[in-house]
Amino acid sequence: MGPLEILLGLIVVVLGWKLVANRREFAKLRRWAAQPRLTDPPEAGGAWGEVFNLLHRHRRTTLHRRRQLAQLIVRSRRGAQALPYGVAVLDADYRLDWCNDAAEEHLGLDAGRDRGQPVANFVREPGFVEYLSAGDFRTPVRIPIRDRNGAPTPRTLALQIVDFGAEEHLLLSQDVTGDERLESMRRDFVANVSHELRTPLTVLAGFLETIQDLKLDAGRVRDYVSLMAPQAERMKRLIEDLLVLSSLEHAPAPPPTNRIAIRPLLERARQEAEALSKGRHRISLAAEGAHDLAGAESEIASVFLNLVTNAVRYTPENGEIRIRWRSSDDGAAFSVEDTGIGIEPEHLPRLTERFYRVDRSRSRETGGTGLGLSIVKHALARHNAVLEVDSKPGKGSRFSARFPATRLLAAAPPVSTHSSRPVAG
Amino acid sequence: MPMGATEHISKQFETDLDTTRTRVLQMGGLVEAQILAAIQGFTSGDAAVIAQVIDNDARVNGYEVAIDGACNHIVVKRQPAASDLRLIMAISKIVTDLERMGDEAKKIARMAKRIHEHGGQHVQRFPAIRHASQIAVKMLRQALDAFARLDAASAAEVMKEDSEIDSEFKSVLRQLITYMMEDPRTITAALETVWVAKAVERIGDHAKNISEQVIYIVKGTDVRHTSFADIEKELSRE
Repeated sequence: MGPLEILLGLIVVVLGWKLVANRREFAKLRRWAAQPRLTDPPEAGGAWGEVFNLLHRHRRTTLHRRRQLAQLIVRSRRGAQALPYGVAVLDADYRLDWCNDAAEEHLGLDAGRDRGQPVANFVREPGFVEYLSAGDFRTPVRIPIRDRNGAPTPRTLALQIVDFGAEEHLLLSQDVTGDERLESMRRDFVANVSHELRTPLTVLAGFLETIQDLKLDAGRVRDYVSLMAPQAERMKRLIEDLLVLSSLEHAPAPPPTNRIAIRPLLERARQEAEALSKGRHRISLAAEGAHDLAGAESEIASVFLNLVTNAVRYTPENGEIRIRWRSSDDGAAFSVEDTGIGIEPEHLPRLTERFYRVDRSRSRETGGTGLGLSIVKHALARHNAVLEVDSKPGKGSRFSARFPATRLLAAAPPVSTHSSRPVAG
Repeated sequence: MPMGATEHISKQFETDLDTTRTRVLQMGGLVEAQILAAIQGFTSGDAAVIAQVIDNDARVNGYEVAIDGACNHIVVKRQPAASDLRLIMAISKIVTDLERMGDEAKKIARMAKRIHEHGGQHVQRFPAIRHASQIAVKMLRQALDAFARLDAASAAEVMKEDSEIDSEFKSVLRQLITYMMEDPRTITAALETVWVAKAVERIGDHAKNISEQVIYIVKGTDVRHTSFADIEKELSRE
């Protein structure tokens, strides 16, 4: 063997060893890379070590960035989820990609199951289908919604499509039932006020015209004037009620320190009832407890008067009206119970609406303005009190105003009788 | 045939089916609105609402014709097999049911018009009919949702509710009979109210038919004229 062969043999051995080593390193690399989780790179020296470190750093940054992106997605989804609006992400063909809980509830969608389906497969109201096909999304469209599990509830949803990103759309939904109700209440209010004022005014104008055009004797004119007076009186009352209502709405809340002596107010309510009844009803007043109220006297007086006069108006002759006041340290209640015509249950929730009348002709003929219970409700709300109504048609009604303990003041000791002050607490 | 072409055709086919399905659902939405408006017209006597329902029926019919045409087109051109064929056949039956429901809505509107024009509203059986119609509309909505999602279980749920409408119908009938016996002047109005109640009951039946078709699409079993207990057994046997 010559030196050349030895050299060659040596080279072969060295190369072979390197090859084996490289394969071992390569196997390590493969094992490491195949691991789903990021772990420290295997120990390796030289060029292999450098490669391992480079790869490791690269993997780490990628993973980190991916985690950040995922977090960003989660955060923006969470943001969309927290919105008080329904949000649905739609693709170019208005197919559902994702939606938040509010949208699921509003539109009856199921974000998981309905993904990839045209949103119009679920929101099938013709109004919305037309809106989609018309393609003019500058203003929202209003559609009625019904909750999926029960009876159709009269609620309204405003839906609007907003373009975003490349060929994608957002479908926003908002429950506008409250707005709609408010709008219609305002509309009704103006219409009602005009109507209520016009009716007596028409009568007045008619008489005035007659007096003007015809030569009437003085007695006839007097007759007419006496017919006109109640109409003018009715208009005056209506306007007064409207002013009271508006001042209740706009004035600051009554101070909680202003003492209202309750006994004289109760007595006044009874007297008023008797004056209106003219002996046609039995009217009784019972008062228990030694507390006064804190608040605005004129408002509470109008609550009492309104409830009492209502009872007189809606109770037929020989009926009974019981006015009660009861106070304790837990609160107080003023109630008026009658044996009147009663109220059908379907009217109860709407009683305190302005101009809401169970029976239009009857209310006007007895001199009501249609605003009494609205005034009661507002005045009570300003005193943290609530109005409760119990009624059986044909049997009678009980209206109770309940005041919380915070609105009570221990009554001042009566002047004439023995002074046993109530023990606080 | 080259591979690309088949793919293209099946994609086109898919799109055709999807479009038709969406059309059916839109028709369902229209019918649902029609029923609600008809009942509203019946309870409130609002002449504008009633007229709208009668006018809109032509649109329901238009949908039926268009969807039927689309189904024929798909059958002739694509010759679908298995589940696709089932879908097409079910669609054409569902559309018939929807169209009939539209007719019932129109019928209710017509009766409402007559009852309120006479002004002789002696009979007030509105709450019960309203309740029954709410159930019917809910059934329709659920059946359509089940069709959109191809959800056989919730389609089976719909069928259970039909008996509720039936019993509501019977109670309306009983009450009306009492009225008629008490006061013969109420007979005309009561009979017309019976027609309305019957129309609502029919709407419930059609909703039930639609859900039967949904089960047929999904399971391939014909569940018409089968008792509910058997259907539930069938569905749970997976």
